[in-house]
Amino acid sequence: MILQTAFMGLFGIAAIWFAVVVFRTHSMVRSALALLFSQAALGAMFLAMQAEFLGVLQIMMMATEMAIMAIFMVMFMMDPGGLGQMEMTHQKRLSQAAGVIGAFAALGIAFLAGWGNPAATAPGPQAQLRGLGLDLMERSMLIFETAGVTILTAMVAATAVAVATRSATKRKEDRE
Amino acid sequence: MMPLYVALLVGAIMFGIGLYGALSQTNLVMIMMGVEVMLGGALVNLVAFWRFLHPTVYPGQTFFLIIMTVMALDMAVGFGVGTARFRARGSVEAEEAGELKG
Repeated sequence: MILQTAFMGLFGIAAIWFAVVVFRTHSMVRSALALLFSQAALGAMFLAMQAEFLGVLQIMMMATEMAIMAIFMVMFMMDPGGLGQMEMTHQKRLSQAAGVIGAFAALGIAFLAGWGNPAATAPGPQAQLRGLGLDLMERSMLIFETAGVTILTAMVAATAVAVATRSATKRKEDRE
Repeated sequence: MMPLYVALLVGAIMFGIGLYGALSQTNLVMIMMGVEVMLGGALVNLVAFWRFLHPTVYPGQTFFLIIMTVMALDMAVGFGVGTARFRARGSVEAEEAGELKG
């Protein structure tokens, strides 16, 4: 238990540190990489919590997601390398206050609620996968199917929004 | 009890950092990064609750998968909107989108 707590703390500190770096660096590519490392550290923390499937899933998902995010950042940003030291923040005081209040509210709930006795052991990876699979196909099937339909809807919606309409393309051609 | 509190502490701090990022950044992609950090904090709590409070039942892990789906959808729709906005205005800065206020 002590070793588990130590590893969780270590990976937790890494995740927090990289999350801070995301908003402190001026380079967008570094931001995307810092977010990738932060989420990967969370994945390692899940592994330390004996949630093997979820840990590996987190690392794989975030690796692809952040790679795509880095590409979009380079496409959309005026200064992706951060060489111009552009200011990209606003309402800083309000944001800091909201962040601190949000964190303290979550901490208050975490430390004041009575959680009962923690379980000392977790099922093995095979038993976990079997249990999760059965849960997805029995009790939580409607939720799981709803998530699938939502993904399909979002794919269609994102493509429809991103594809240029004929009139927009024509307007651009007229401008050029 | 200690490991549960370590996880909840990390989750709360991640949530706070993400909230700060989502509110303070002017660029759409950076705002989405803030939301991702907040959802990361939520994931830590979910896994910790499953592992230390109810390790023999799996709705917690199912909820984890739903949150991960939300993360992917937020990225997909956000980039779709970003692409449309960039095509129309040449920028994805939030401060230049004042006309969306209604």
